[in-house]
Amino acid sequence: MPEPILRHVTPTELAGAARHLVAGWWGIVRLGALMLDMALSRSTYTRESWRRLALHIVQDSGPMLAGFTVLTTLISLILIRIVIVTALSYGLTQYALEMVVRVLVLELIPLTAALFAALRCTIPNAVEVITLRARGQWGASADAVAETLRREVLPRMVSGVFSALLLAVVSCTVTLVVAYLSVYGPVTSGLAAYTRTVGHVFNPAVSLILGLKVVFFGLAVALVPMAAALDAAPTRRRAASAELRGLVRMSVVILVIEAASLVGNYY
Amino acid sequence: MHDEPSSTAPAPVAHLQLKAVLLLALFVLLVAGTVLYLMYARGAFESTQRLVLVADDSEGVGVGMDITFSGFPIGRVRRVELADDGSARILIDVPRRDAHWLRTSSMFTLVRSLVGGANLRAYTGVPTDPPLPDGAERKVLIGDTAAELPRVVASAREMLQNLAQLTAPDAPLATSLANLQALTDRAKGPRGAMGAVLSDGDAQKISASLKNAAALLARLDGMAAKADTQLLGTDGLVPQGKATLAELGALLGDARAALKRVDAVLVEAQGVAGNVRGATADLGALRSEVDATVRKVEQLVDEVNRKWPFARDSELKLK
Repeated sequence: MPEPILRHVTPTELAGAARHLVAGWWGIVRLGALMLDMALSRSTYTRESWRRLALHIVQDSGPMLAGFTVLTTLISLILIRIVIVTALSYGLTQYALEMVVRVLVLELIPLTAALFAALRCTIPNAVEVITLRARGQWGASADAVAETLRREVLPRMVSGVFSALLLAVVSCTVTLVVAYLSVYGPVTSGLAAYTRTVGHVFNPAVSLILGLKVVFFGLAVALVPMAAALDAAPTRRRAASAELRGLVRMSVVILVIEAASLVGNYY
Repeated sequence: MHDEPSSTAPAPVAHLQLKAVLLLALFVLLVAGTVLYLMYARGAFESTQRLVLVADDSEGVGVGMDITFSGFPIGRVRRVELADDGSARILIDVPRRDAHWLRTSSMFTLVRSLVGGANLRAYTGVPTDPPLPDGAERKVLIGDTAAELPRVVASAREMLQNLAQLTAPDAPLATSLANLQALTDRAKGPRGAMGAVLSDGDAQKISASLKNAAALLARLDGMAAKADTQLLGTDGLVPQGKATLAELGALLGDARAALKRVDAVLVEAQGVAGNVRGATADLGALRSEVDATVRKVEQLVDEVNRKWPFARDSELKLK
């Protein structure tokens, strides 16, 4: 008799899955608290740890900065052009610039920067940690584990957060410049009106929400994949599964942050 | 994506510290620059003065909204609050560099349109009036498109009722249209538009008149052709007139020559007249002599009569 496609799930299995799910999210919170504790402790700030952090920052952020800036410029240019031409055809040019700033700088570009940082920096860092654990270069005692976390995980996480923040700031700045050039051209006569529009969009509440969103995006893309990597069994076979799980959880967190920012901005 | 870490020891990177510091500096610079720019854009660095607009209804007014003067934003709404008397107080910050556009006689309007947000506008009629003081309170005039809608709807309804009355089956317009249709039906008949506007008898008379007129015109045409022949034909009046004129020209030439001759005759006659005038003068002397002679003869006759026996008394005497 063939196996049914939809297998019956016993309550025990369901409870185990729920426990595993909660444990996964709890692991993210624990890792975040642990990293915060390490980042704030005096013993972390040594010359060696600075050298490691500098290395990860340069290796993670440096290579992708130029490429991402070019990519952001092209995407911004296309989207701004579409918005302006559409607004022009409907006779709503006075709202075009504000819409460009709201849609691109407030919503799309920070999200793109966070996803780009995740794909090019934080998820590969998490895979590296899984690989290290699989090689057995992970201490057995609690002190050794803590030291390994401080030496290997903390710099990667800080570097990941920094990458996400740097990409977001650079891309937002580039988008603001491209928006000005697209609307007014290479002249300075539109600066006053443009500055007024930007000031109109970025009221204190919106600015605060944008700042918080970018920071939480950075924390999410750095923390969630790393927590999944540390949560997984230290084998190469389960590395892919941990990577996928981290990606899913990270997407969920990013979605929640984006939804919260939308609610804060428009309700 | 799955790059194998070669070792836990970091690979050497040239100018590692410098590159890391540069990236951190870039980040700090961009964040600081963005924050400063946004603060500048929000007007954090400019000195402002307060303007309070009092409105019956602040609907459509939001914090951050601009107030414009001649289309240029000169101030920004900072707060909207409810006053004790129930009116809305719109607190506006006007940068001091733009405050000179606002005078004590300036007017402020709040216009709400159907599409888009409300607009706060300032109008200054007399730019030489004293400048608006800090914290001044002014009433704002409200122009509300939505408020005009009920009136427009009422007018439209009235117009539609009139239209319905006009187009009712028993309305004068419908009757007129029916009459017009009957008229056009008659116009489509064999007598055309004339049959529509005239009775049958009149139409027949008009038709007969038209036929007569056509015959008359044909005759007139024949007459015109004949007149043309007689006037402009080979032996017509015009060629003959031309010949006559030529002859008249020749006659006039002859007359001119004759007149010249007459002129010469007149000159001679003038000479003769001069001679006659001289002779007339001589005749005067002759006449006086004749007169004297006649008088003498008369005296002589009188003398003879007195002396004659049968003389009559010629004197008249009063009795």
